[in-house]
Order: sequence, then structure tokens, then C-alpha cells
Amino acid sequence: MKSAANRPAPPGEGDHALGDAPREGSGDPSPDHSEAPGEQTVTFRAIRDDDLVSVHDEASPTAGEGPAAEGEESPAARGGEDETLSNGRVFSGDGTPPGDEGLSADPAGDADDPEAAAEEGRPGDAEPAEDRDDQDPAVPEHDRVSREDDPADPAGGSGEASGTVVASSGEDRDETEEGRSGDAEPAEPAEDRGEAETDQDGINAGEDETASGEDGTEADQDEDEAGESEAWATGDWVRETPLPEEVSEALTNALTGLRESVTDLSFGLDLPGAEEARRAQTEILTQLDDYVIPRVHTSTAPALIVIAGSTGAGKSTLLNTLANAKVSATGVRRPTTGTPVLACHPDDHEWFAEGGLLGSLERRQAPGAKPGLDGLVLVSTERLPQGVALLDTPDIDSVVEEHHEIAHRMLDAADLWIFVTTAARYADAPAWRLLRLAKERGARLAIVLSRVPPKSREVVTKHFVRMLTEYGLGEVERFVIDESKVVDGMLPDHEITELRLWLAELSVDDQRRTQAVRATLNGALDSFRTRVPALARQLEAQVAIRGQLRGDVDAAYTAALAEIDKATRNGSLLRGEMLARWQDFAGSGDLMRTLRLRKPGRFAGKASRQGPERLNALKTALRTGLESVIVSAAQRAAEETVSRWQHRPGAAETLALAPGLSRPSDELLRRTNRTVAAWQDHLVQLIRTEGVTKRAVTRLISFDVESLAVIFAVGLLGYGAAESEGKGALPQRLLHALFGAESLRNIGAKARSDLRARIGMLFDDETSRYIQVLDGAGIPDESAATRLYQATYNLEVAR
Amino acid sequence: MSSTIGITPPSGITPARQGLGSRLAALAKIVELGPGRVDPKLLTESGQLLLRAGDRLKLSSDHTVVALAGGTGSGKSSLFNSVSGLDLSPTGVRRPTTARTHACVWGLEGAGPLLDWLQIQWRHRFARASALDKGESRLHGLILLDLPDHDSIRALTDTEADRLIQVADLIVWVLDPQKYADASTHRRYVTELAGHDAVTIFVLNQADRLAPEELAECVADLEDLLRREGVEHPTIVTTSATTGKGVDNLKAVLADTVARRRAAIQRLEADLDRLTRRLAEVVPDEDAPPPPVAIDDARRIGLTDALCDAVGVPAVGEALENVYGVRSVEWVGWPYARWAARLRSDPLNSLNLGDIKDEIRGLTGGAVTAQPAEVDNAIQALADGLTGGMHETWQNGVRDAARSRSAQLPQVLSEELTEVAPSLDRVPAWWRALLAWQYLLVLLFVAGLAWVGTALAYGVFEVGELPANLEAFGDASSLPWVGLMMVAVLGLGLLTAMASRNFVVLGAGQERDRLEREMRRRVGTTAESMVIEPVERELARYNEFYTAVRSVRG
Repeated sequence: MKSAANRPAPPGEGDHALGDAPREGSGDPSPDHSEAPGEQTVTFRAIRDDDLVSVHDEASPTAGEGPAAEGEESPAARGGEDETLSNGRVFSGDGTPPGDEGLSADPAGDADDPEAAAEEGRPGDAEPAEDRDDQDPAVPEHDRVSREDDPADPAGGSGEASGTVVASSGEDRDETEEGRSGDAEPAEPAEDRGEAETDQDGINAGEDETASGEDGTEADQDEDEAGESEAWATGDWVRETPLPEEVSEALTNALTGLRESVTDLSFGLDLPGAEEARRAQTEILTQLDDYVIPRVHTSTAPALIVIAGSTGAGKSTLLNTLANAKVSATGVRRPTTGTPVLACHPDDHEWFAEGGLLGSLERRQAPGAKPGLDGLVLVSTERLPQGVALLDTPDIDSVVEEHHEIAHRMLDAADLWIFVTTAARYADAPAWRLLRLAKERGARLAIVLSRVPPKSREVVTKHFVRMLTEYGLGEVERFVIDESKVVDGMLPDHEITELRLWLAELSVDDQRRTQAVRATLNGALDSFRTRVPALARQLEAQVAIRGQLRGDVDAAYTAALAEIDKATRNGSLLRGEMLARWQDFAGSGDLMRTLRLRKPGRFAGKASRQGPERLNALKTALRTGLESVIVSAAQRAAEETVSRWQHRPGAAETLALAPGLSRPSDELLRRTNRTVAAWQDHLVQLIRTEGVTKRAVTRLISFDVESLAVIFAVGLLGYGAAESEGKGALPQRLLHALFGAESLRNIGAKARSDLRARIGMLFDDETSRYIQVLDGAGIPDESAATRLYQATYNLEVAR
Repeated sequence: MSSTIGITPPSGITPARQGLGSRLAALAKIVELGPGRVDPKLLTESGQLLLRAGDRLKLSSDHTVVALAGGTGSGKSSLFNSVSGLDLSPTGVRRPTTARTHACVWGLEGAGPLLDWLQIQWRHRFARASALDKGESRLHGLILLDLPDHDSIRALTDTEADRLIQVADLIVWVLDPQKYADASTHRRYVTELAGHDAVTIFVLNQADRLAPEELAECVADLEDLLRREGVEHPTIVTTSATTGKGVDNLKAVLADTVARRRAAIQRLEADLDRLTRRLAEVVPDEDAPPPPVAIDDARRIGLTDALCDAVGVPAVGEALENVYGVRSVEWVGWPYARWAARLRSDPLNSLNLGDIKDEIRGLTGGAVTAQPAEVDNAIQALADGLTGGMHETWQNGVRDAARSRSAQLPQVLSEELTEVAPSLDRVPAWWRALLAWQYLLVLLFVAGLAWVGTALAYGVFEVGELPANLEAFGDASSLPWVGLMMVAVLGLGLLTAMASRNFVVLGAGQERDRLEREMRRRVGTTAESMVIEPVERELARYNEFYTAVRSVRG
């Protein structure tokens, strides 16, 4: 068995045909893909005659290298739209020799004459096979895949999980015949309805063949199972549920994609529903990790039956009784069980010990000292039938809330639920919440009503059944267990005969078990259709709120900027101290002294030069005035932001994380100080460089740039409208006379925009505090929601 | 079990009731002061508690309302029947069994209004006339309620159990070995009512289902659990309603409680305690210094200073002084110096801006104004200084109070101060007099010049004859005297100018001081009425609230 990797591939197609094919299956059914069947496959069913021809044609060149391998190229596949590509899966029964030839021989035989194989292989077991046919007529591929491992095979190292598993299984097969039960599982059954529909046209014609092919599969399987007892005895049995590999690959990819997009989410704002979303996120993740992804990989694992119910309902006792050993602690203390206990047949033990199901839980041999979310006690017992594993969970309603979490996590990984309640509890709200959950999930459910006093058995049972029927759960499998003396943590065996029988049936009836497994898997996959978009919606809400919060900050600070702008235009800045200083400056004649004649008149004498005190005082007053305008605006903006935030849902808690947001930052005063001083310096610079003095003026008058800058600032901010014509206010007229309108306008515009830019930068620093808080809340960007929708869509496509 | 309820003498009732009364009064105060400052939900609960307390205290204090609460199937009704000794409440195996509350009264007189208040339906009321009971008289005054369950699917839509658990005087939690650790009981009620030890009894019913050692383990576990949840002294009684074992113990505990007639008050006190813990979150810790009642002098001065700065009082004073000095020159200065200065060429004139001088002069006549942004910041600083340690809502309250009139404040300040501020172009009368005097001196000088001219012309150069009556002017011998006079006149003018200049400066300084004092005074008055008063009102409110919270705490 080889993948196509080391086979000469047709030019132009080879790239795809090489072990990449499975990856292509992940929702990218390109036309080229139809060439992928060139990959070596072994097919057991759904083989049309023409396929066989081509398969054999293609297979023949590699016959020498490996086992007879058969690719399947259905016409439909050639049509390009479907993924009928099926990688057959070779599995070996206990009698199969390790050699490749031996492996290839069987499938080849089966493939050549599937119907014959079916007839031969299924004496007396025809009914389940028919069931299956009835159920999944449109599912074309339940193939078994086996590839020989090839070191050069890109598929082996492509990181494609499924491919790797398959490849390694092949390796194992080559090297050892032991450990089959663990190694031989990688065929991945997954039902893909959407796929089936698209395929329907293509395969309608071949449906009969498909059916018979399936029979063949079954036959084969049953052949194995015919030798079950021996096989199990040697631990070398394999049960497989066929699954088209591409589908599985696609599904795995889609699920991995989904997992990735769910992992990164965080719901930082406490909006209504955020808590639920956070929980749902964890649930989805653990369910993906613990159940869905492992299940899609290896749906052939024993069915996991989770026993759930209220505290004191007798879950552990039930498990002990079924296992006929004290595997789980019982007692009068409530809650009793803290760490889940998984009991299975010894042959399944290895699978659960290593398997992916509930993979994130640490396996323990005995109940840990403390209950934890990370432990799982694994015990094996001969009394449990093959293929079904029972999981005893903590309660769902005790005062220890962690237990509810563990229990729900277990339920997320369950193939079947056994819901245990008691005569005293069957009307409890938590119990019915669980039933509702099961109903919503479409989980396969069996209900055990235990601890029923024999004398009121009838009344209670009738009442309970009526309640169930009203709730739409009347059809669910029910078991009633009488209240009886518990000895050594176990009930009398006769109480659970029915239940044991049911389990045994489930164990023997592969068909039904597979069906149950698949139904639950489908239920879980279905549930993503609503659960993931619900997450996405919450995410969108979060993103929207964040946008609004962000907008609040911007709006508040924009308003503050506008306020400052207004204050520097309407003359309100020229009040108080600044006005007094200006009056002082002008009135005491210093204003006039700023200008000096180059040629003093004869009587000039010693034109009294006064010290710069007044100028400095005016400059300081100007700075203080401007600062206080800015600080006051910033204060208002901070308050405004916070009060806006407080009216938004979910932001209040975020605010609580960062106290002091309702006032400007501590550095604001210092920064404002620096900003205004820098602007004043800049203004001096501007006047020095831009202030092109009229020539006529230059000859006559010299002036002090510093003073002029201050006068200019007073005119610009105190009187406003400095940009307009130099008419009007005193400073403007003075400056106009010195510089001329053009130059004055230039400086005015530049100075103002520079001031605005500086204040803008200052406010950016202020707003960054809010942005940090928002970022700290860890809300992903808009694309996360889109990714979620995309992932959901991909998952649907892959199915 | 773990704690026994001692019997206190009835005389202890009255002070306790008073204590409760004053605490409730304080709570009423909080409800009155709270809106806008305290979480509305908390206020609503406080209001409800006040109402309930008022109702309960008005109603029969001889009766003790004991509610049997618990999950479905724990045996509330069985226990009810077994305590009352009659099959009053139907029991059954179907779950849930009881849908309506049943009540049994020992000693009916006065219980009617109480039962009405509890909203117990007539047909579910039963009375035990004590006369009929053998040895049951000790239960006289007991109203036993058999509540519906709180944890079944029926209870999702029915809050009766919830309601009665909130109002009963004493709650008996009926638990059973299967359900004693249910979250529905513990999370929703036991933890919530953790401080209610005195009015809560835990009954582990169905004890007959367990072996003695199992029972002991179970009780130990339950006690442990309750302690973890904050029930410091749990009272646990084990009973078996079916076998009757332990029911007498329960009766004894109930009889104790009933006899003391304190459960109603204890219950209200416990409720009050619970509420107080949450209320206390909005006031600083006990050991924190009490909040300021009034604004101290330092803060007032600080505010006045800041507002003065916003108005620019020092700058106004300085400007006044300087501008006076400069302007006085025009009036009281030596006219000759002024004229000389005019001859100097003016840069403004060379810029064709000669008229700007008038504008500058006009500028100095402007009014005193307040800078709004600085006023804002001054108020903010005051509020910030006052509210350290306060809860945020109160901080905001004080700040809003301080700001309540900040919009008008700059305007009012400007108007107030403009009244006192002298216009800078004011000309005092003595300036005018001095000006006249100076001009007189100039005239004298001119006259002297004329005299000198005449004397020179007629006395020295003898250009002609003077009319006889003016001959004295033509006398050359008068020249030295006239010259001396002219020098004296000039000197006098200069001296006057210098002297009056000094007077101007001195006067301006005094004027400035006076003005600054007056402005400060006015700023202070305005701040008092527009900032301090509202803030102090708010502080008083806060103080009242703070005191009320402390006294509710008891």
C-alpha cells in the first residue's frame, strides 16, 4: 500500500495527486482533485466496473512495491465536484499475516466480488447490514484506508493529522502485528450529508453497487467479528467504521479551523450574555478537544456512556453494580464523586488510556486526593461488555460548582447519556435542565429512575413517565431501580438486569452502537451550527460595544478640542489675569517700547528701557490661561467619557479595573505646561522666519521678536480671528502694520494649526489610557467573528 | 445540635426592640438620602426591609412564624404533620407534592392579621387550640408554615417559597441525606442568609434511612459544609418524620424559640446586618477618619486664592499701579518734559498708526473679568481635596455640588469685581488741580518771559516807550528779579511734579492694596454663596448618610 507520493504522477496532476489529496478535501474540491484517486487506495465497496478497470490500471505499476492498491475514480469524481475519492482502508483480522501481500490479497478479493463477500461473510447478520443501508444509502464512502508508510511520502509529514495517523498505522502494520486495536483505528468515519447530496447524482447509478459494496464492508467486518471472541482474547481485534478519508480530513481540518478561531476569542466586556459566551467558548473547546476531534479521527472507539445525574442519585452505585466491583466511591457524603471514573472492558482499556477522547484529562489509577478538572480515573473490568465504556461523573446539582462543570464536560464527550435520577428528585429543576440540554443536543439518552420505594413504584413511575411524555421524552429508554440495600457500594445484581442487558445489546450490536455514536457526533456537530454563531454574535456585540466605547472617547475629546478652539476664538481666553497683564503691558507703555526707531529723533534722549518683567508676566499669564483652558477641557472630556461609558452596558466593570479614568492623567498638567511652552517657542521661531517685515518698516523700526510673539499670541488667541484681515483688534493692527496682511495670515494659520496639533497630541496621550483599558479587556477585532462564521460554514461544507 | 439556644428573660426584649428601632430609623434615613448615591437595587431592598419590618413589628409579637423550607421530597410536609400531630398537609411520593403553603397555629388569638400578611390562604390555615393538646402548651404562639419546595420545576414559576423564606421569623431547613448538599438550597439561600444563625435551624430529616454511623458522618459533613458557607453556629437537628424520632427535639428547639418571642426581631436584625454589609461598601472603613463636615479655613483660602488668580486680582492691582503711574505723568508731570517727549518722533506715527494710542488708552479702561477655565479648575481642585477616601458616587456628588453654579460664577465674579475696580482712566480731582497749578506755573513762566522780553526791549535796547502804566515792565533793573522768579517757577513746577509723582505712586500703592483687599473680600463672599454653600450642603448630606450607615451597623 502506497500513497501516490512515490508513484510517477501524470504531468500537471502530480502535484495534487501526491499525498496532498487529503488536505484538498478540506473544502476545496477543485477539479484537479478528481485526479487524486490516482493515489493508491484499496477499496472495498462502491466500486463500479469502470473504476475497477482504472483502479487496476493504476494500481498495477505499484504492485511490485506494495500491496495491491486500488484507486477509485468514479465518473462523478471526474466531474470534479465531488470527493468520491475514496481511500480504501485495509484492515486485517487476526489471521492476517503481517506481510503486505497478505494484506492486499483480501481486499483485492473483496473488491473484485463484493457481493459474494457480503453473502459469504454475513450469514445470519443480514439485518443490521440492511439497517445501515437504509440509513445511509447516500453515503458513498465508508471505506477503509490503508497506506503503506513511505518515508518519502509527503503525506506522512505534511502535518495533516489524519494522514499522519494513517501513515503510521501502515507502518505499524508493516512492523508489527501487535497493538492492532490501538493502531488500526485511524479510518475515520464521518457522515457527510452535504457531501452525500452533491454526490447523489454522480453515484445514483452506482448506488446498488455502493450498497453491495457496503455489504461487503460489513461482511468483512463481520468476518472479523465472527472471530471476535478469539480476537478479543488475544487483544488483536479491530473494529472499524468506514469513513471516506477526505471527508474525515476535511472535517478534521474544518474542526481544527473552528477550534483555532474559537480559541483566540475573549469576551472582555461584561455585556449581557458575555458570561454565557465565555462558558460556551470553554465548552466548545473542551468538547472539540475531548470528543469531537478524537471522535472524527477514530469513530471506532468504544462508545462512551456517561452516567450523569443529581448528587446522591446513585450514579457511582450503579457503575459499581454494573462493573460488579467497587470502582467508584460511594457514601453518604454529598457530593460523593469528585473525579470522574471511567470503567471499560480490559480490551478497551488501552484505547481509553491513550485515546484522544477526553485527552486533556490526566489518567489516574485511583481517585485523586482532591477532585480536579484534570483527572480521570480509569478502571477496567471484565464485567462490562466490549465496546461500551461507562463514565461515572460528578453531580450536576450539588453545592460544589466545579462538579457541575466536570459533569457537563463529560456529557460533552458522551456518545450516550445515562441520566440517573431518584424518586425523591425526579421533579428537581436541575435534573430537568439536564434533560432539556440532552434534548437540545439531540444526545442519545437513557433514563434510570433509581431508589424507588417498591411500594410506590407504580405511582412514581407513572408520574415520571407522564412528565417525560409531556416534555417530549416519552420515547426515551427507561429503567427503574428499586430502593434496596446497598452492599459494598453495589446494588443487588437483579435490579440492574435490564440495564445490563441493554448494555450487552449495545455491545454486541455494532450497528446500533455505531449508529448511536454517530448520532451523538452529528448532534454535537449540529449544535455547532447554533452555538458557534451565537458566540460570533456575542463577539460582534462586543466589538460593536467596543466601537461605541471607542467612539465615546473620541467624541468626548473631539468636543474638548472644539471647546478649546472656541475659547481661543471668542475672546474668553483674554480674561482674568491675562487681561489684566495685557492692560498692564499696554497701559504702562511697554507695548510701545517694543518698537524702536532705528534713528531716534533728536529728542529721544534716553528712551526709558524698562525691564522685561511685564512682558514675562504677560507671557506667563498667557501660558497659564491657555493651560487652564486645556486642563479644564481635558477634565470635562475625562468625565464625559466616563459618564458615557457608565451608560453603556458592560463597560462599568471594565472601568472598575482602571480607577482614575474619570479625571485627567497625573501627567496632564506637566505635559500641558510643556506643550504650551513649546508652542510659544515655536511661535517666536515662526515670527522670526516667516515674519517678513515690510521694507519700509525695516528701515525705520526694529523690534523685539520675543515681545512681538507674545503680542501676536495675545492677538491670535485673545481676540480671535487673527487670520482675518488685519483690521480690528489692536495687536493685529500693530502686526499688520509691521508684516503686512499676507505674512500675518500665514503666521496666524500656522501658529493656530500648530497649537491644535500639539493639543491633539496631548489628548492622544490622554485617550490612550482609555484605549489601553479597552485593549486590556481583550476584545478581538471584527475579523474574529467573520472567522467564526467562516469556520462554521467550512464545517458544514466539510460535512 | 451544635449550639443550644439559651433562654433570655423577656425583659431583654424592650432594649433590643429599641436598638432595632433606631437602626431601622437610620435605615430610613439612608433610603431618604440614598437616591442617586447608592445602588438603586440596594435602596429598593432597604425600602422593602423597612416596609417588612414595619409590618412585622406592628403585627402580633406573641407569635413566631416558623417556616419549614427545603427541596422537594425532603419531608417538609411529613415533618409538619408530625410536629402538629395531625395530617394537615398532604404528603406523597409524587414530586413535587405541596404546591401551597399550609399553616398551623398554636394559639389563634391575634394570629389572623399575621396570617393575612403572610398571604396564607384560608383553607390552608389550621389552628391547634392549646387546650386540646397534652403538653403542647409550650408551643403556644407558634405559627408553623409548610412551604412548597424551592427546587423543583414547579418552583421555577412559583416564588411563594422564596417569598416566605424572606419573611418568616425562623427558618427550618428540612434536608435529607440525599439532598443535603444541593446547590439550590445552599447557594441561593444558606450562603445568602449566612448571618442568620440565630433564626435558622437545619433539620436532617429521613434519618431512619441511614445507619447511626452514617448519620453521624452525614451530620459532620453537613456541619462542615455550613461552616464553610459562613454559618458560624449551625443548629442541626436530626429527625425522622416517619418514625417520629427526633421530632421531639425539634419541638423543644421550636418551643424555646417561641417562648423567647425574639425570633421576629432577630430575623429583622439579621436582615439588617446583611444589608448593612453591603451598604457599608459605599462609605469608608470604620477606622478611616470621619468625613469633613465643613470646609476648613485653609480650603476656603485656597479656593479664594485660586478664584482670585482666575480673576487676576494681583495682576489687576499691579496694572492699576503701573497705569496710574504712567497716566499720572500726563496730569501731574512736569509739562515741559511732556512737551519735549512729544517732539520725539514716534514709531507708530511712522507706521501710520497714530490712532492706536487712543485704543491703547481705551484698552486700559476695560473691566475686570474672570477666566472661566481657571474658575473651573479652582472648583475642581476644591472638590478633589475634599473627597479623598469617599466612595466614587459621593465624590461625584460633591463635585457636582461644587459645580452646581460654576456656569454663572465667572459672570457673577466679573460683575462683582467690576463694581469695585476703579476704571483705569479715572482722573482724581487733585490731578486736575495739580494740572491747573502746573499750567499756572507755566503761565507765570510765560509771563516772566514776556516781562524779560519787555524789559530787554524797552529797558535795555530802548526800542520805544511804554505806556506809563506799564513802565514798571520796562525797567531793566527788574531783570534779575524776574529771572530769579522764572527759575523759581520752573523749579517749583519740577518740584511739584516730582512730589506729586511720589504722591501718585504712594496713592496708587494704597489704592492697590485697598482694591485687592476689597476684591478678595468680594471673591470670598461670592465663593461662599456659590461654591462653598452647595458643597457644604452635600457634605452635610454625606455626613448624615455616613452617620446613618454607622448607626445601622449598630
